[in-house]
Amino acid sequence: MKPAPFKYLAPRSLDEALAHLAEHGYDAKPLAGGQSLVPAMNFRLAAPAVLVDLNRVKELFYIRSGDDGGLRIGAMTRQARLERDALIAERAPLIKETMPYVAHPQIRNRGTYGGSLAHADPAAELPAVTIALGGRLRVQSQRGERWVPAEEFFVGLFTTVLEPDELLVEIALPPLPPRTGWAFTEVSRRHGDFALVGAAAVVTLDEAGKCADVRLVYTGVGEGPVVAREAMALLRGEEPTEEAIREAAHKAAQVDVSPIGDIHASADFRRHLADVLGRRALTQAVARARGQAS
Amino acid sequence: MRAVGSSIPRLDAWQKVTGEAPFPGDIYLPDMLHMKVLFAGRPHARIRHIDVSRAEQAPGVVAVLTARDVPVNEYGLILPDQPVLCGPGSAKEGADVVRFVGDQVALVIAESEAQAEAALALIDVDYEDLPVVASVEEALRPDAPRVHAHRESNLLHAYRIRRGDIERGFEAADVIVEATFRTGFQEHAYLQPEAGVSYVDEDGRIVVITAGQWVHEDRQQIAHALALPEDRIVVRYVGIGGAFGGREDMSVQIILALAAWRLHQRGIRRPVKIVWSREESIIGHHKRHAMVARARWGATRDGRVVAAQVDLVLDAGAYAYTSTKVLGNATLTCVGPYEIPNVWVDARAVYTNNIPGGAFRGFGAPQGHFVAENMMNRLAEALGMDPVELRERNILREGSILPTQAPVPPGCSMPEVLTRLAEEAGWRRDPEKGWQAPPPLPPGDPCQDPERPCTSLEATPGPRLRGRGLAIAYKNVGFSFGFVDECHATVELHGDAAIERVVVRHAGADVGQGAHTVMAQMAAEVLGVPLDKIELVVSDTAKTENSGSASASRMTFMAGNAIQRAAQEALRLWHEEERPAVGHFRYIPRPTTPYDPETGRSDPNITYGYVGQYVEVEVDPETGHVALTRVISVNDVGKAINPQLIEGQIEGAVSQAFGWAVTEDFRVVEGRPLTDRLSTYLIPTIWDSPLNIQSVILEIPDPQGPFGARGMAEMPFIPLAAAIVAAVRDAIGVWIDELPLTPERVWRALHRPAEREGGT
Ligand SMILES: Cc1cc2nc3c(=O)[nH]c(=O)nc-3n(C[C@H](O)[C@H](O)[C@H](O)COP(=O)(O)OP(=O)(O)OC[C@H]3O[C@@H](n4cnc5c(N)ncnc54)[C@H](O)[C@@H]3O)c2cc1C
Repeated sequence: MKPAPFKYLAPRSLDEALAHLAEHGYDAKPLAGGQSLVPAMNFRLAAPAVLVDLNRVKELFYIRSGDDGGLRIGAMTRQARLERDALIAERAPLIKETMPYVAHPQIRNRGTYGGSLAHADPAAELPAVTIALGGRLRVQSQRGERWVPAEEFFVGLFTTVLEPDELLVEIALPPLPPRTGWAFTEVSRRHGDFALVGAAAVVTLDEAGKCADVRLVYTGVGEGPVVAREAMALLRGEEPTEEAIREAAHKAAQVDVSPIGDIHASADFRRHLADVLGRRALTQAVARARGQAS
Repeated sequence: MRAVGSSIPRLDAWQKVTGEAPFPGDIYLPDMLHMKVLFAGRPHARIRHIDVSRAEQAPGVVAVLTARDVPVNEYGLILPDQPVLCGPGSAKEGADVVRFVGDQVALVIAESEAQAEAALALIDVDYEDLPVVASVEEALRPDAPRVHAHRESNLLHAYRIRRGDIERGFEAADVIVEATFRTGFQEHAYLQPEAGVSYVDEDGRIVVITAGQWVHEDRQQIAHALALPEDRIVVRYVGIGGAFGGREDMSVQIILALAAWRLHQRGIRRPVKIVWSREESIIGHHKRHAMVARARWGATRDGRVVAAQVDLVLDAGAYAYTSTKVLGNATLTCVGPYEIPNVWVDARAVYTNNIPGGAFRGFGAPQGHFVAENMMNRLAEALGMDPVELRERNILREGSILPTQAPVPPGCSMPEVLTRLAEEAGWRRDPEKGWQAPPPLPPGDPCQDPERPCTSLEATPGPRLRGRGLAIAYKNVGFSFGFVDECHATVELHGDAAIERVVVRHAGADVGQGAHTVMAQMAAEVLGVPLDKIELVVSDTAKTENSGSASASRMTFMAGNAIQRAAQEALRLWHEEERPAVGHFRYIPRPTTPYDPETGRSDPNITYGYVGQYVEVEVDPETGHVALTRVISVNDVGKAINPQLIEGQIEGAVSQAFGWAVTEDFRVVEGRPLTDRLSTYLIPTIWDSPLNIQSVILEIPDPQGPFGARGMAEMPFIPLAAAIVAAVRDAIGVWIDELPLTPERVWRALHRPAEREGGT
């Protein structure tokens, strides 16, 4: 199918883009990579009256070092760039490792970091990974600017805290503390599809080898990225033994996630996968934190 | 360079790669109108009344057609049991009932596609829903609602084979294995959804330009429904974006002709075009039949299969399509390419309110062999015998008697195929102990190639188990069971002293397999002229004579026989100084006979193609994910007219069969498909298909084949699923009886073996 008719605006600066959004409010939608928005328009699931194309807003395309030694990433940064960028590989290797599981190369060439977060698909990888990395999001409108922790950005199925006149403009990732390991893992029916379940883990060990900080975030098992708080609480301050990890993943699968069934997998099976993948992600993250693996 | 045996690039390759090749959807004629179909969208209902008045008044609408407008409101390849348009007002009994979601109810013809689409919503159809027959089990209950009210039951057709004494056979058996198998519907998912254009030409003929598999059959079906003589209809194919059997039955052909003709009668002399969306295509054409089969086989300790009993039911869906023929193939192949003294097969095709079952690469043989080859692998295990050895002891060979009690046609190469397969896969033949498998696969890491993107299996660094399995198959080439197969070809030689130009006329469809290239190669070979002198006039009922369909792996075999002899005849006339020298040949292969209704006795098929496949898989036992990592496919093709095209067929068939076996899960609830788009119906992409496919081409001549060639295009689809099931068993220790092997199904099989294990 073809999309319903719409008005197309192509601002060349952030100010101009924000002005368009302020003017058109609920009738407008920003267009980033278009890899989710355009299919939705073609299926007539979305019919915005006005498209504000961000692809000419050069100031939203960047990856740079943050003052804290972390990263500042412009919302329009293409997913393909995240996959290949040397600074990302160095400071947020979890992102690099996750990118091959996000759709197909053709889609990553257009799809953006900001678009993936703003779209808030519960099966998307980048929201979960950004939360696991403790990311903070800079949101801007003509009314001003605010910072939102990634964990608070997602409020439900395809829903975020963004107001219609607001743009997500930047993602800030803090530096990884020493003795930190990470992992991402997922199961999908077919390569490049949204996964049935995915799990991202980031673990920081203290000098005694106990968990100073643990983050375990799932995709595909709730209305948005699911932070496995109970599982994380079990591990925090503990030594991440095989047994402790097993228990934590089990807890996550039993208590933290609330999967539903669909044509690709039942709720039961997704819960089982949350258990298996949670264990694998934590195990690998801990191993990396201990410096046993790269 | 000789023409036959060379991997000459396809004649259409350049045009297709550059986008120049016209497909039906690319045709824009001046002043053209656009058509949309109102589909029933419900599985079973009576139409009490249709009111099109609001739609007729809608902007841009030129005409709305319903059942009343169809002269003879029926069609069907083997049985005219399907209305062209469902609804009241036609003479056809029962045409007021819709029997599946894809039944067509009305046609809107408008100035633009969007206007036609908008007007669909303005057609008021008063439906009375009827009880839905959702499965073959439901359909076979004595009190089941009937899909076709005038029939006695939902049974469309039954075949049986009775050979020997089955009870004696089981008594003689030392081991008996039993299982119940289920295979699902499969969608063809060709690149190009159905499309076409129709108009009435200056001679008053209705011209339909579309993509199908058999121009003359399309013409006949159109002529029947329109109550016109066949010479008033011209069917012509342009580019065909894949078919796989999915274009054998009518989709847009009749409605296009109907629309052009009715408009013409109203004085509107404008072409009409239709293009189906993917969703329309998926509900609008048939599927591979879903199957349920119970099997019980017995063998003696020394590895002789002495009894094979199978009860098999195919879901024919709402209409007959080619179900009886598919059933015939499943009936024969469910006991495999073996000589078994005692055989008992009951096979039924049953009407339901599902999307019709019909032709799809393999045509019943994949389902049949899924039963047979699973049973052989399980028997081998029960006997503690090597699966190659067990097969060899029972295999069909030259002179063997088929289960239908006729001899296998000369040129049976099943043993050679098996031997080569075993050798390629590392088996050795021990003079005393017979075939010996190589040592078990070492645990391995599949993600060795950094360029190869990770599959989700590779994304989960957990335990991974490897397994291997094999299966073999045979399948008919050409039409079966007494249907008279024929194929015409004409070869014209133009020139004076030397042949300057050759025109080959042939109706056969090139559905993307490269048939036309192969036809040109065979003509060039016989005539001894370079390929560029050959001009093809193809796939047009106005310019060619019947060639039969591009199906049943028959095109190279049939066209080759016809072209070869037409070319020889033309050459003879050329030497007699005729200018132009025109040779014509109508090839009729040896006759076959239908099944005897009681015993199944028959000489069912002209000849066969033979295939064997070995696979390796990796299974993640915690997530149930199955990856196919290696395939060896040994195919006897008789003669490889164009080896590269054959490899293309093998690799394509392996991917398609992998889809059927593992990723493609066509889900239907109460007659309503849940997977009507390619984001929910998951065909394997290049990332999922195994990269390591070793195509082994054998050339053991078929005495009936042109240059010895036999058909091959369906064969490499057939054994793969059973080989994968065996490999999964080897990897994780569980037999799975149901396709597809989705992660969840594999996981459940592993963790609830009590519910799953079917054997004894
Ligand atoms: C076949 C296919 C497979 C896919 N598989 C996956 C997968 O496995 N995993 C996965 O995570 N994704 C997958 N995707 C989605 C893909 O990653 C998209 O690119 C991504 O979800 C959206 O990014 P985009 O830049 O294309 O956003 P768009 O489609 O342009 O926009 C998405 C939404 O976000 C809004 N938006 C975009 N940018 C901003 C901004 N800066 N501020 C405020 N709102 C904004 C838009 O208005 C729109 O509502 C797949 C897509 C396809 C087509």
